[in-house]
Amino acid sequence: MSHSELASIFNKNEKKVDWHDKALWFVRHKRDLSVHEVKGWEALRNLGHGIKAHTLSNLDNYLIEFEANAIKNDIQVHWAADGDEHNRIVHNIIKESNGKKVVKSKSMLTEECHLNPFLEAHGIEVIDTDLGERIVQLAKEKPSHIVLPAIHKNKHEVDKLFQEHLGTKPCDGDPQYLTGEARKHLRQKFIQADVAITGVNFAIANTGGFVVCTNEGNADMGAQLAPVHIACMGVEKIIPKQEHLGVFLRLLARSATGQPITTYSSHFKKPRKGEKMHIVIVDNGRTEQLSRPDFRTSLHCIRCGACMNTCPIYRRSGGHSYDATIPGPIGSILSPGKDLKKYSSLPFASTLCGSCSDVCPVKIDIHSQLYKWRQIITKETPQPFVKAQTMKIMGQMFSKPSQFERVGKAVRWSLRNLPKSVINSKLNTWGKARDLPEGPKQSFDQWYEERKNNQKD
Amino acid sequence: MNSRDQILAKLKTNKPKLIDLPLIETSIFRDEGLDIIKEFIKKVEVVGGNVLEVTSNQDVINKIESTFTNQEVCYSHIKGTQGFNTISLETIQNPHDLENLDVLILESTLGVAENGSVWLSDQEIPVRVLPFITKHLAVVISKKDLVEYMHEAYSRLSGFNYGVFLAGPSKTADIEQSLVIGAQGALSITIFLKQ
Ligand code: SF4
Repeated sequence: MSHSELASIFNKNEKKVDWHDKALWFVRHKRDLSVHEVKGWEALRNLGHGIKAHTLSNLDNYLIEFEANAIKNDIQVHWAADGDEHNRIVHNIIKESNGKKVVKSKSMLTEECHLNPFLEAHGIEVIDTDLGERIVQLAKEKPSHIVLPAIHKNKHEVDKLFQEHLGTKPCDGDPQYLTGEARKHLRQKFIQADVAITGVNFAIANTGGFVVCTNEGNADMGAQLAPVHIACMGVEKIIPKQEHLGVFLRLLARSATGQPITTYSSHFKKPRKGEKMHIVIVDNGRTEQLSRPDFRTSLHCIRCGACMNTCPIYRRSGGHSYDATIPGPIGSILSPGKDLKKYSSLPFASTLCGSCSDVCPVKIDIHSQLYKWRQIITKETPQPFVKAQTMKIMGQMFSKPSQFERVGKAVRWSLRNLPKSVINSKLNTWGKARDLPEGPKQSFDQWYEERKNNQKD
Repeated sequence: MNSRDQILAKLKTNKPKLIDLPLIETSIFRDEGLDIIKEFIKKVEVVGGNVLEVTSNQDVINKIESTFTNQEVCYSHIKGTQGFNTISLETIQNPHDLENLDVLILESTLGVAENGSVWLSDQEIPVRVLPFITKHLAVVISKKDLVEYMHEAYSRLSGFNYGVFLAGPSKTADIEQSLVIGAQGALSITIFLKQ
């Protein structure tokens, strides 16, 4: 289904859409307050952009350096060309350690590779330990936001889910009580886990270590208890030096939620005594995206979610309408690189207002890339008949001013005189869920002429 | 070719021409009038922690005992406070045995004013899971060990095997965006500032 079709499903519940819209705008607002406190914020964004651009231009060498240092630190390094290989590697590590129970902290990469269903099919229990992710896991859904996975659910839905799966008491959706119950439930899982899987926010080439950021403490509760820790990362997570963390950790949480830093920024370098640590480095389409000059900066993304919180389309259509692991503006420039046909409607799910590019901490020109994808998609994928024909006619009309004036007159008359049923007919998508304004008597040209003449008098 | 070599070969072909690595000029971020201690206290409170000023390690213990009364399982890793401990780490076989820890006291030698975080590494945490599994966390830090920004913090860090910048108690807003303190990690954090 296209983005607009899926969005119309989300739009059925108007109250929920309003709440979703306001809640995310509130997060965007917190981001603003937080970044305005930082002296030199724009310089910091430029640094974030520059460090990422440099890293991508030397990515092979940084990965080799990272691998060598990680091995020195007693970490085992694995490489996966695609999602399938990633899943097989992870499964093999779990098998070798006779693992049955896995706890996992937030990792969009493992979502992208569909790791959970793969492991479950092999009889392994996988528990997502981020509260939002646990909620969507219990609901058998996907995260709808990369930082706020359950933003599409209200507290009463969570209440019901927890009653059903965790045996909680009805509580009218009390977040304090529900979080407390989830804490008890997850503690049990942490204690029993054989293997902990985490994502990676930054991997540092010159130390061979990596950093994982959470607010809940779930990454460490998993990794510091289980005898095996597997960290999964895309190739683009590398930064050259430890000092660069100073830039990215200042940018990340402020852009994400307005916090000055996440509660936990954990730096893993060597396994603890008796523990085994693995890193899986994954391509899955990233090297291809790197080959596209117009789109390669999309690999700068540090997954803060700011472009989603600010996007007028995302806020009103919900993350699931993008039907992709990474939704929102950044998802709309990443996904077409993976499957142009399947995701051909995503670059059109934008007003091109540019707000995403304004808030992006690593200065990805998201809205220009959306525009560039549109050019490619219109050329390479068949357009709906009505749209293709209208565009053709419009093109001809705009090229001849006299014709434009004549058509304009007819439209203004029609808007004033035709019945609504005709104006808002099926062919006119602008008439969906909104009334068109009454047509003015004059065109702008006429008004301007008249004004000029009046001034002369 | 195995996947490693394949990925590296593709990156080599597909990457753009080498772009220079920008230098981090930390002077552009410096706010000259900043009072580091005041800013640190303010930010600890912003991230949900408490700050108390103390004169000695014994003072820390006294203040904790009056705030957290009747706690069963307690452990302190700061000097001269063994009397506070109800467990001995030597007898702990497995990090899981720390599940019921009520109060933990650690020392940090690096705090960051701009975000209220304290650095805890293997040198300060005898068992890595400690600051996460405890119900209440207390961290003692000297005022002289506070720096302004993350850039200064990283210039001081080297040679650790594991470490965490920890800012405030664990928290979540995953249920309808209502902030709840106490997710999977510590329920509270108190920073004790020493001269
Ligand atoms: S594209 Fe930029 S704003 Fe969007 S998630 Fe990535 S880093 Fe954040």
